[in-house]
Amino acid sequence: MNELKIVGKSIKKIDAKDKVDGTAVYPQDIYLENMAFGVTIRSTRPHAYIKVDTKEAEKIDGVIKVFTYKDVPGKNHHGVVLKDHEVFASKKVRRIGDPIAFIVAETKEIAEYAKNFVKVEYEEIPAVFDPEEAMKEESPKVHDRDNVFYHFKIRRGDVERAFLECDVIVENVYKVPMVDHAFLQPEAGVAYLDEDGRVVVIASTQYPHFDQEEIAESLGVNKDMVRVLTPAVGGAFGGREDITVQIHLAIAALTLKRPVKTIYSREESFLAHSKRHAMKMYYKTGALKDGTLLALEAKIIGDSGAYASWAMNVLRKAAVHATGPYYIPNVKVDSFAVYTNNPFTGAMRGFGATQVPIAYEQQIDILAEKLGLTPIEIRLKNCFREGSETSTGQILEGFIPLERCIEELKSF
Amino acid sequence: MEAIKPKSLEEVLEYKYKYKNDAKIIAGGTDLIIKIRKGEENPKVILDISTIQELKGIRETLEYIDIGSATTFTKISECILLNKNLKGLKDAAKSVGSPQIRNRGTVGGNICNASPAADTVPPLLALDSILVLERKGRKREVYLKDFFKDKGRVDLGEDEILTRIKFKNLLKNQGLGFYKLGLRRALAISRLSFAVFLEIDEMNRIEIIRIASGAIGRFPMREYELEEYLTGRIINEDTLKEAESLLERIIFERLKGRQTAKFKSIAAKGVFKKALLNALYLCKGVNEFEKN
Amino acid sequence: MNLKKIDVNINGKDYCLEVEENLRLIDLLRDKLHLTGTKEGCGEGECGACTVIMDGEIVNSCLVLAFQADKCRIITIEGIEDEIIKNSFIEEGAVQCGFCTPGMVLAAKSLLDKNLNPNEEEIREAISGNLCRCTGYNKIVSAIKKAASIKRGGDSE
Ligand SMILES: Cc1cc2nc3c(=O)[nH]c(=O)nc-3n(C[C@H](O)[C@H](O)[C@H](O)COP(=O)(O)OP(=O)(O)OC[C@H]3O[C@@H](n4cnc5c(N)ncnc54)[C@H](O)[C@@H]3O)c2cc1C
Ligand code: FES
Ligand code: FES
Repeated sequence: MNELKIVGKSIKKIDAKDKVDGTAVYPQDIYLENMAFGVTIRSTRPHAYIKVDTKEAEKIDGVIKVFTYKDVPGKNHHGVVLKDHEVFASKKVRRIGDPIAFIVAETKEIAEYAKNFVKVEYEEIPAVFDPEEAMKEESPKVHDRDNVFYHFKIRRGDVERAFLECDVIVENVYKVPMVDHAFLQPEAGVAYLDEDGRVVVIASTQYPHFDQEEIAESLGVNKDMVRVLTPAVGGAFGGREDITVQIHLAIAALTLKRPVKTIYSREESFLAHSKRHAMKMYYKTGALKDGTLLALEAKIIGDSGAYASWAMNVLRKAAVHATGPYYIPNVKVDSFAVYTNNPFTGAMRGFGATQVPIAYEQQIDILAEKLGLTPIEIRLKNCFREGSETSTGQILEGFIPLERCIEELKSF
Repeated sequence: MEAIKPKSLEEVLEYKYKYKNDAKIIAGGTDLIIKIRKGEENPKVILDISTIQELKGIRETLEYIDIGSATTFTKISECILLNKNLKGLKDAAKSVGSPQIRNRGTVGGNICNASPAADTVPPLLALDSILVLERKGRKREVYLKDFFKDKGRVDLGEDEILTRIKFKNLLKNQGLGFYKLGLRRALAISRLSFAVFLEIDEMNRIEIIRIASGAIGRFPMREYELEEYLTGRIINEDTLKEAESLLERIIFERLKGRQTAKFKSIAAKGVFKKALLNALYLCKGVNEFEKN
Repeated sequence: MNLKKIDVNINGKDYCLEVEENLRLIDLLRDKLHLTGTKEGCGEGECGACTVIMDGEIVNSCLVLAFQADKCRIITIEGIEDEIIKNSFIEEGAVQCGFCTPGMVLAAKSLLDKNLNPNEEEIREAISGNLCRCTGYNKIVSAIKKAASIKRGGDSE
C-alpha cells in the first residue's frame, strides 16, 4: 500500500504557533476604536414576575443606553430547538441568571457602576427545583405549558414476561448532578457595523451559522445583514451551543452604530451558559443464572432547567444508550425532559450518553456479584459484537472491537 | 482608594499612624485583592509592604528563628535555616495554593487574614510562636495563640502592623508534623488540618506536646484538652486510639449543630494521627507506627 | 480615582506609566498595553491563565495590583523567546484551545530556568497552578520533558 500522507501521522495544529506565542486572538483580545462596553443585568431570583426601571442608570455620565426587551427590534426569543429563551426577560424570570438588561457605557468601570442603578422589582412566585415534583399536575409551571415537554419511549420484546424468567433481578435508582463545562475562556464578544451596514458579531461560538439566524431574527433583518466571525475558541465542550453574548451585542451595535464589547467574569459565565443534564435513573435489570441479560426496564428523568436547549436530543440519546453496549432482548425505556427553575441544561461532551453508564455499568457489576461472576465474564457474555442488534433495532456492522477491549482488561 | 508603596518599615509605620484604620496593609494581596474586588473590603488607603526588605526573610538569632511578616510561602518552603525537624512548617507552606500563590502570598497575610483554614497558622501555633507587632515608636509581643479574637478578627491596634513571627528552633528530640486534608492536591483550601509539636524521651514518652487544628473552629486553635491527655504518656497504639476518640468527642462537641460535625470529627482522627506520626518520625528518624 | 506613576520593565522595555490605583497588573498588560497573550480565566488566582514572571517568579497577574509592580521586571508570553519550549508544546500536541497555553509556557519556562532535569513529579508540581480545561495535561507534561531534554543537549527522549 502506498504510504499515507496524513492518516496515521501527527499533524501540527495549524494555529498552535499563534497559541504558544500568545498572539492567537480570542474575542476578549479585540480592541476597536470608539468601542463601548456592555454588562448584563441578570435575575437573582429563580421564578418571579419582574418590573425593570432603567431611568436612574441611564442618567449616569458615560452610560450610553440600557437595553431591555423593549429594545429588541425583532423577535425577543432564541433557542436551538424550541424558541423558549427570551433575549431579555419581559414579564417573568425562570431561573437565576436570566438576562434582564444590557448596560452599554463608555467604559467597563462605568457600566459596572451603573449596575447598581438598574432597578429590578421581583414579585416572586412558587418555583420548582425537583424534576419529579415538576412532573406533577399541581406543580408550578415554568412556561405556559406542561413542564414535561419531551417523552421518548423504547419498546422491544416483552419486558414483563422476561422478568418472570430471570434468575436474578437488580433494581436501583441512580442520580447524577449537573456539571459545568468551565471552558477556560469565559464568554466574550465584540459587535460592530461594517462599511456595508451589516452587523458583524465576533464571538467564540460552536455554531456561527445558527447564531447568524438567531441574531437576524432578533434584529428583524435578513440573514445577509448579519456576519458572525469565530476567532479562537477557548474551549466549549457543548457549552457554547446556545446564545449568550451574541444577540445583546448585535442589538447594541446596530442601535448605537458603534463597536460594543462584553466580557463575562467566571462567575457570570457559570450563570450564562448551559449545564450537563442532571438525571435520575430508575433501573431494573434481569439476567439468567449464566449471566445472560434478559430484560431492562428504565425510567430516565432529565432536569432541563428553565429552558429546553438540546434536551430532546440529550434525553433521546440517554434512552438509546440505556442498555449500554450490551445485548438485551427485552427493553422498555421511558425518558423525560422536564422544565424546572434550575439553571438550564444542554449539550456537554456525550450528549446524554455520559449519564447512563453510571447506571447500566453498576447494574451489571451488581448482577455479576449476585451471580458469582467476574465483571469481565458478565460483560464478555453480553457485549455487542458484529451483527448485534441494539434496543432500537440497529444491526451493528463493521468494526465492533469491544470484546477485544474487554479481553485486554483481563490483565489488569 | 489611595495606593502607597512606602520605601521602609519606618515609612509604613508613619503612614499607618497617620491613616489608622483607613489604611489597609497589602502584602501578597492574594486575600485582599479578591476581597476588594468583591466589595467586601473598601479601604481608603492601601500600604504595600510586598517589597519592604526589612519585613522579608528568615534569620536565626541566639534564641529564636525569626521570620519577617512579608516572607512568602515559597521562601519559607525553600529556607535552609529551617532544619528538618521543622518539616511541618515547610510542608504547610508548600501546601498553600499553587506556585503562583506561594510566590506572592505571605505568612503575615496568612496570620492577619485570620481565616480558619490558614495553613501556616496551625504549625506556628504548635511552635508556640510569638508575634512582634509594631506601631510608630513602639513594639509589643503577643503569643500567636492569644492573637485571634474571632473569625477574621485579630488583636491588632489601629496603627499597628505585624512585623515578625518568632519561635524557638527545634532540638534533635523534637519534631513538628503537619497534615492537611484538601479536596485535591493543588489549589485546595484546607477542609481540615493538624500540626503537632512533639518532644519525646528515649522511651517514646511524650515530654511536651502542642497540638493545633485548622479549619475546625472560628480560627486555628490549640487543642489543650488533647495535649493534657497525651502529656507524659508513652506513644503506642493504645494511647493513639484513646487520643483519637477523645479528639472525636471534642470536635463533635465544638461543631455540634453544624452539618460538617460528623464528617470532621471522624476525619480529624486520621488527620491528627498523620500529623502526630509525622512529628514522631522527625524526632526519631524512623516511623514505628505507620503500617507499611 | 487618582493616577499613580510607576516605572516598570516589561519584556525588557522600560515603561513609565500612569495607572489607576486599583488597576490590576493583568488589566495594565491587556487593556493599556494590549499585551493580550496574558489571559483572564477566573480573576481569582485559581486558573493560572494570567501567569506572568515577576522578578523571576511566576505570579498570577490578576492578583497583583499594577502599582505594586513599580520598579519590577515583568515577562509576559510576548517576551518569551524560548523556541525550544514553544516547539515542544507544538510538536507534542500540548496545545488545544490554547487559552491555558501562555500560562503553561511561562510555568514551564520558570521551572526549566531553575531545573533542567525535572522529574515528572516536579513538572506536575510546577504546572499545578495552571488549569487546562481541555485536560491535555499528559501532553503538556511530555512537552516539558522534551524541552528539558533538548535543553540538556539530548535528543527528544
Ligand atoms: C487561589 C488561592 C488559593 C489559596 N490557597 C490557600 C491555601 O491553600 N492555604 C492558605 O492558608 N491560604 C490560601 N489562600 C489564601 C492566601 O493566599 C493566604 O491567606 C495568604 O497567606 C495571604 O497572604 P498575602 O500576603 O497575600 O495577604 P494580603 O492579601 O496582602 O493580606 C491579607 C490580610 O492581612 C493583612 N495583612 C497582611 N500583612 C499584614 C501585616 N504584616 N500586618 C498587618 N496586617 C497585614 C491585610 O491588610 C489583609 O487584611 C489562597 C488564596 C488564593 C487566591
Ligand atoms: S485569571 Fe488569574 S489565576 Fe485565573
Ligand atoms: S488547551 Fe484549552 S484549556 Fe488548555
